[in-house]
Amino acid sequence: MAVEIELFGNISPHVQRLSSLSLERSMTVSEVMDLLGIDAQEVGLIVIDGVQHEIEDPVPLDCRLCFFPYLSGG
Amino acid sequence: MKLLRVDMDQLLVKWEPVPALYERLGGRALIARLLLEEVPATCDALGPHNKLIIAPGLLGGWSVSAAGRLSVGGKSPLTGGVKEANAGGTAGDALGRLDIKAVVGEGQPARNSWHILYIHEDTAELLPAGDVQGLGTYATSDRLQERFGPDSSVISIGQAGEGLMCGAGVCVTGEGNQRSNHAARGGLGAVMGSKGLKAIVIDKPQAKPLPLADEQLFRSAARTYAQKLINDPKLGRSGSQHLYGTASIVAAVNEIGSLPTRNFSAGSFEASPQLRGTVLREVTLARGGEAGTRCMHGCVIACRNVYADEEGKAIVGTLQYETISLVGSNLGLDNLDAVARLNYMCNDFGLDTIETGAALGVAVEAGLAKFGDLDSLLALLEQVGQGTALGRVIGNGVVTAGRVLGVRRVPACLGQAMPGYDPRSLKGNGVTYATSPQGADHTAGNAFGARNEVNPLGVQGQKELSLKLQIIAAMLDSTGLCLFARPPIIADPQLMVDMLNGIYGWGWTKEEFDRFNRDVLRTELEFNRRAGITAADYRIPEYMREEPLPPHNVVFDVPDADLDAVFETL
Repeated sequence: MAVEIELFGNISPHVQRLSSLSLERSMTVSEVMDLLGIDAQEVGLIVIDGVQHEIEDPVPLDCRLCFFPYLSGG
Repeated sequence: MKLLRVDMDQLLVKWEPVPALYERLGGRALIARLLLEEVPATCDALGPHNKLIIAPGLLGGWSVSAAGRLSVGGKSPLTGGVKEANAGGTAGDALGRLDIKAVVGEGQPARNSWHILYIHEDTAELLPAGDVQGLGTYATSDRLQERFGPDSSVISIGQAGEGLMCGAGVCVTGEGNQRSNHAARGGLGAVMGSKGLKAIVIDKPQAKPLPLADEQLFRSAARTYAQKLINDPKLGRSGSQHLYGTASIVAAVNEIGSLPTRNFSAGSFEASPQLRGTVLREVTLARGGEAGTRCMHGCVIACRNVYADEEGKAIVGTLQYETISLVGSNLGLDNLDAVARLNYMCNDFGLDTIETGAALGVAVEAGLAKFGDLDSLLALLEQVGQGTALGRVIGNGVVTAGRVLGVRRVPACLGQAMPGYDPRSLKGNGVTYATSPQGADHTAGNAFGARNEVNPLGVQGQKELSLKLQIIAAMLDSTGLCLFARPPIIADPQLMVDMLNGIYGWGWTKEEFDRFNRDVLRTELEFNRRAGITAADYRIPEYMREEPLPPHNVVFDVPDADLDAVFETL
C-alpha cells in the first residue's frame, strides 16, 4: 500500500513531480506536505482520489494525492 | 457618447446620441437592454428584425488592464434567447476611445450582398466586401489590415458566418498580427452574416483621451487594481494563468473527473497528461512559439500563447482550455498538435470550438469519424468550410447534429453546447449551464473557480453558488473585464465602483453597482420569457441525470426545483 503523489504546475519545483510514499502511520495532508517540502503557500487545490480535500484532512494509506497551484476556470 | 446605427437594408449609417435609457450601460448590460427595447423577442434570429450589437464594456477605452473586451450580442439562433459573447483584442478599446457606445446592425440586405463597415474617427461608411467575401477569418483580417493599416482592428466572420451556420462566432484581431480572438458563442457569427456584414474595420483612434470625471479617483483605483492583479498568486508573473494560460487547468479538471471525454461519456482522459498546460508551454517554447503574451493593450496577466509546429511555424494562437477539452479529450485526441490543427480550421471558418467540438463528438458517436483519429475529424470539419450538407449539420451545432444523426447523448442546454466541464462532477456548472439566460456557458458563472466554497460533487449550495457567480459574470461582461481579472474586484468591489465613478462621475455606491449587475440578469430573463422560453427549457439533458459519469460514477442530481429557484433571490 502506498500513496501516489503528483505535483502540478510550478509549485515547489525542487520536489519530485511524481512519487510514491509508503506511510507508516496515518498522516494529514499537511504532514505529507511538510515531509516532502511542499510550500503550503503555493498550493491552491488538494485532490485525493479525484475528490477535493483540505489541508488538515487525513491521507488514506492507499490513494492518489495531487497538489495543484492556485487555478481558476477558463 | 454616441451610437452608430447601421441600416443594412438601405445601406445607410447614422450617428445618434445615446438614449438616456442606455447611458449607464455597456457591453452585456447594454445588449440585454437594447434587445429588450428594440428587438421583438419572438423574431427570427437570422431575420431582419434581429439586431447585431457590438459594444465595448464600461471600462473600454480607458486603458484599464485586462478591461478592453468587446461584447457582441443579439438574439441567438442557437438558444432562441438573449446572447452576449465577448472577445479580447483591440476593437473594444478602439470603440471606447472613439466614444462609441455601440455599433448596431439593423435590417437585412438583399441576399448575397456583402459589405464592410469602415469606422475612422467620427466617420463611418459601408463599403462593398469585394474580394474578402468567401474568405476565412485569417485571410480576411490580413487583407483588410493591408488595406486599412496594420494598426486597425478587424472584426470579421468566416465561411461559417457567411453560411448562416449557428455554430459561427465573430473574430477580432489583437495586438500586432494576432488574428484569433473570438466572441465565439451562441451563433452570433451567423447573425452578423444575416446582416450581410463580412467585417468591421476600426482605424486606430488618434483622438486625445476623453476627460475623466475624477482623474485622481480613477487613477488611484486603476493602479491598485492592476497591482493586485500582479500580486495574485494565480495571475502574476509566476502564476499559472500567465505561465500556462487557460490550459493550466487541464490536469485539475481531469483529476476531479470533469474533463469532457469521448462525447461526454467519461470525466477523465487517459492521455490528458499530453494535453496539460505544462506540456503546452514546454512544446511552445521549444519550438519557437510564444507563451505569456497578451491580447489586449496593457494586460498584466498575459495568458496568451502561439502554438507552433515542429518547424517552428505558428499553427494557432491562442490554444485554450475549452478548445483542448472539446476538440481534444472530447474527441479522444491525445496530442496538442492535433488539437491545434482543428483549432486553426475552426478559427479560420469562424466557428466556435466549443460548439463544433461537441458537434464533432456527436458525429463520431454516430459513426462518421473515429475518436482519436485526426484525419477522419479533419475530413469532417473540412466539409463545414466547403458548405456540404454534412458540413452544415456540423456547423449548425451540437443539437442539430444530434437530431440529424440520431444521437441522444447531446451535451447542450438551451440549444447551446456545454463547455469543458462535465456538470455531473462539477454540479455548480450544471446549474449555471441549465439556468443561465445565455444557455450552457461557463463564462456565465464558472463554479470551477469556487471549489473551496461548495463541494463540486454535492447538491447542497449549488443554486446559491451559481446565482452568485452569474451576478459576477454579468458584472465582468458589462464592464469589459476579462474573467481572469476578477479576483481583485470580487475581493473589493469598491475598486470597480471607484473606477467607474472616476470615469463617468455617476457617484454610484457598491449597492447601486450590485443592483446594476443583477438588473442585467433580470433584463435577460425577461427577454427570454418574451421569446417563449420557459422553466421547462432551463434544464440539464435527461441522459445526464441517468447515465453515471466515470470515474466518480455520478449523475447530475440537483433537483429541477433547485434550478427553478436559482433566481428567486435575484
